Amino acid sequence: MACVTMAAAEPKLSLVERLFADHRGALQTFLLRRVRAKADVADLAQEVYLRMLRVSDQDAIRNPVHYLYTVANNLVKEHAVIERRRASSIDIDEAPAHEQLKMLPAFDGDLDAAQRGLRLGTVLQQLRPKCRAAMELRFARDLSYREIAMHLGVSPQMAKKYVAQGLSHCRRRMAQLG
Amino acid sequence: MNSNDEQIRAAIADQASEWFVAHEEGPMDARDSAALAAWFMTSPVHIEEFLGVSVVARGLKEIRTNPEYSLEAILARASDDEARPVQGLWPRVIEAVRKTPSGRWFPATMAMTVVVGLGLLFTWNLRPTGRPAGTAGIATRYFETRHGEQLTQRLADNSVLHLNTDSAVSVRYSKSERLVTLISGQAEFEVAHEANRVFRVHAGYAEVIDIGTEFDVRLEPGSTVVTVVEGRVAVGAQNSNPNQAVRSIELAANQQIRVADGALPAAPVAADAGRTTSWLHRQIAFDHEPLERVAAEYNRYTSKPFVIATQALRTLRISGVFATDDTDAFIAFLRSLKGVRVEMTENRILVSGD
Repeated sequence: MACVTMAAAEPKLSLVERLFADHRGALQTFLLRRVRAKADVADLAQEVYLRMLRVSDQDAIRNPVHYLYTVANNLVKEHAVIERRRASSIDIDEAPAHEQLKMLPAFDGDLDAAQRGLRLGTVLQQLRPKCRAAMELRFARDLSYREIAMHLGVSPQMAKKYVAQGLSHCRRRMAQLG
Repeated sequence: MNSNDEQIRAAIADQASEWFVAHEEGPMDARDSAALAAWFMTSPVHIEEFLGVSVVARGLKEIRTNPEYSLEAILARASDDEARPVQGLWPRVIEAVRKTPSGRWFPATMAMTVVVGLGLLFTWNLRPTGRPAGTAGIATRYFETRHGEQLTQRLADNSVLHLNTDSAVSVRYSKSERLVTLISGQAEFEVAHEANRVFRVHAGYAEVIDIGTEFDVRLEPGSTVVTVVEGRVAVGAQNSNPNQAVRSIELAANQQIRVADGALPAAPVAADAGRTTSWLHRQIAFDHEPLERVAAEYNRYTSKPFVIATQALRTLRISGVFATDDTDAFIAFLRSLKGVRVEMTENRILVSGD
């Protein structure tokens, strides 16, 4: 596995920003489309894990999250290549074609995004008001924790805690809905 | 996925979310980065949950254009003051049956929330005080949990009360103060700051005055333990002479104080607030603590108590994080220890040495 080199002085970007800037494309598409196909994501995680374990130069993991996304992204690209090759041959183990067709979004990303949005909306409603607001302010409105804290009348620490709790809850619910 | 797997997953999702928030906030220092890398390398499930959490954050970015997520709409929802029970992270069936000492009940209000599919069910009652209804700006509410139960309740001022097993509190809000009395057990408070209405907790020998924060109070035989998770509180000793000047001491996050009858220690001690409040996640966490203590802690939740038969085992030091409602896992853990036998009898779990 090629060693991932990291620029020494990376400009400060939020993770999500970086997620989009650096890893736009394959990983995003993969993860967002396959939120439902839990096995896929588990397999991906497994493979990323194995590759991480094989890294001899620990310094390459100076920014573990960046590293994680990079490895995952590469894997997804490789996966796509394999899939394309496989698609040209007939695999009788695959689900019947009409089953597969059901999985395909009618209008590519848009419908998917709308559906996900709805689902996320439902899950968000289960959070207590401040927790929900903290998450929304952070990710939908890009406010800093200091700003969120001011709006909600809590400490920045508490704002962070709300966001973490909210993320965790939504993640679990989304996984269960999957 | 059985409930045990689900709990472990949930705990990992919590950790993943904390890491996500820490990372996303800005560059991490070398130590945190190394810790995160180590965390990733502990298990593929950690990686999976981290990716899952990223997807949630991404999803929120995606719906930003929806008017429901305008700044105004978000803030309007946040200030929604309607009193309804808060759903805990791991809700379970809770049926709080309340009895006053006199055994008489006047349920002025009863609300019931059923979260479909989760089976969370509890009721609350508003008990009128002796005052006429016209001046009933002041009402006392009682919350109580039975053995093994936990309860999370949002209060009228948006503060959140978490009640651990075998615990009871009364909550009395007036115009000038918010007074909570911990009658038994253990509670954690996330206090909504109000500049002109102090939040006060009476608990056995201690009185805690909040200065905008989150803290845990536990009644133990002969003393009261206060642990601050976040922010600052002032703790004073309550004693029998109300005229005596009360000294108080300020506690910051991760500090703890134990107050016995009228005796307030000179200074707080350092404590791991995360461990003290691990019960919020239905977990108990121990770092190198004697088995005797661990068993006593477990017995707060189990129907069959653990009894340590062999003297030498009492001081055996153990570390770990256990689910409070998964006795089997804890038994399996004990059995994995060298020279430890666990035997189930009809009314106890007997732990002995070879």
